[in-house]
Amino acid sequence: MSDEKSKVTDKASEIAKNIWLAGVGAYGKAVDEAQGRLERAMEPPKLFRDLVKAGSALEEDARGALEASAAAKTSVEQRINRVRENFHMQRPARIEDIAALQKKVEQLSRKVDKLARALAEKTPAEKTPGRRRAAVAKVPSRKTAAKTSRKKTKPGRGKNT
Amino acid sequence: MKTRDRILETSLALFNAEGEAHTTTIDIANEMDISPGNLYYHFKGKDQIIAELFQQYELALGSTLTAPIEQPLSAGKGQVENNWYYLYVVMEEMYQYRFLYYNLDDILQRYPDIRKSFKRLIQLKRASLFAICQNLLQQEIIAARDQQLLGLVDNMTLTLTFWFNYDQLLHDNRAPEVTIHQGVLQLLTMVAPYLGDNELSFYRDCETIYTNLLQDVG
Repeated sequence: MSDEKSKVTDKASEIAKNIWLAGVGAYGKAVDEAQGRLERAMEPPKLFRDLVKAGSALEEDARGALEASAAAKTSVEQRINRVRENFHMQRPARIEDIAALQKKVEQLSRKVDKLARALAEKTPAEKTPGRRRAAVAKVPSRKTAAKTSRKKTKPGRGKNT
Repeated sequence: MKTRDRILETSLALFNAEGEAHTTTIDIANEMDISPGNLYYHFKGKDQIIAELFQQYELALGSTLTAPIEQPLSAGKGQVENNWYYLYVVMEEMYQYRFLYYNLDDILQRYPDIRKSFKRLIQLKRASLFAICQNLLQQEIIAARDQQLLGLVDNMTLTLTFWFNYDQLLHDNRAPEVTIHQGVLQLLTMVAPYLGDNELSFYRDCETIYTNLLQDVG
C-alpha cells in the first residue's frame, strides 16, 4: 500500500521534472496537464484498495470453497453411513440381523445376571423376585424397557430368549 | 441467517417447487416478506441468483463425485454395498437442486456459463461411475469388460442425469424417497446382470423397499 503511494509520488515528481524540462513556455499548459495526470495518478490507490478488497474477498471465497470441499469429502463417508443405517431400517430383517440381535440380548442377560448376583451378595436376606427387579432397575433405561417387556411375556426366563 | 443466504435458500425452494421459469424475483421477495428493493440490493436479478445457486451445486456435487475417483468406496468384499449407498448420496444431492433438471435445456440455453459447468459435471459423473465400476471389476464383483463396461457407465450416467426429469414427466410430483429410491433401483438394474448371486441380495432388498414405499405412499 505505502509502496504504491510512494510510487505515485515518484511519478508525480517525475512529471514535475518533465515539466521543468519542457521549458518555461509550455509551463502553464504543462502544469494543468500535470495536475490532471496527478489527479488521475492519485486514483490508483483507491482502485488498488478496491482490488485488494476484491482480492481478499475472492481469497476468502476460495478458502471457503476449499474448506467446503474438504468437508464434503469427509462427509461422503458419513453420508454413506447414514444411508446405510437408513437402509437397514427399511429393508426386511435377515437371519443375520436376528442372530445379531439375539447375541445382544444374551450379552444383556449376562450383565443383568451378574448385577443380580452382586446385589444378592450385598443383601442376602432379600427374596429372589425383589432382587431381580432391583437388578433390572440398574440397567440403563432403554435396555430396561426391552428387558421388562420381555420379562412380561416370558417371566422368569432371563437367559434364553 | 444472513438475508443474502436466505434469498438463495428461498429461491431454491421456490424453483424446486414451482419451477424456475415460473418464479420471479418479486415472488422470492414476497415469499421472504422483504421488499424487492432489498432483494435487488443483494442480487441484481434472477440470473445472478441462479448463477450462484449453480455454483453452490457444482461445488457440492463436484466434491461428492470426486470421492470415488480419489479413493475406492469399497476395499473389501464386505464393503461392496458402500458403492450402492453412494448412489443414494449422489441422488439426494442432485434432488436438492432438481429445478435444474426439470428445465435443463432451457436453463442451459439461457446461461452459457452454466452450460459449460454442467458439461463438466456430466463428465465428472461419468468418471465417478467409471471409477466405481472399475473398482468393482478389480474386486471381481462385476463381470463386464471393455466396451460393455463403458456402455454400462454411459447408461448409468444417462439415467442419473435425466432421472428426475423423466420421473417428473411420468409421475408429476412423487414423494422424494420414492423418486430417489427408484432412481437408485434403476441404476442397480443396469448393474444387476453383471453381478454374482451374493450381491444380488442387495438388489432384492431394494426391490422390497421400493414395493413397501409404494404401498406407504399409495
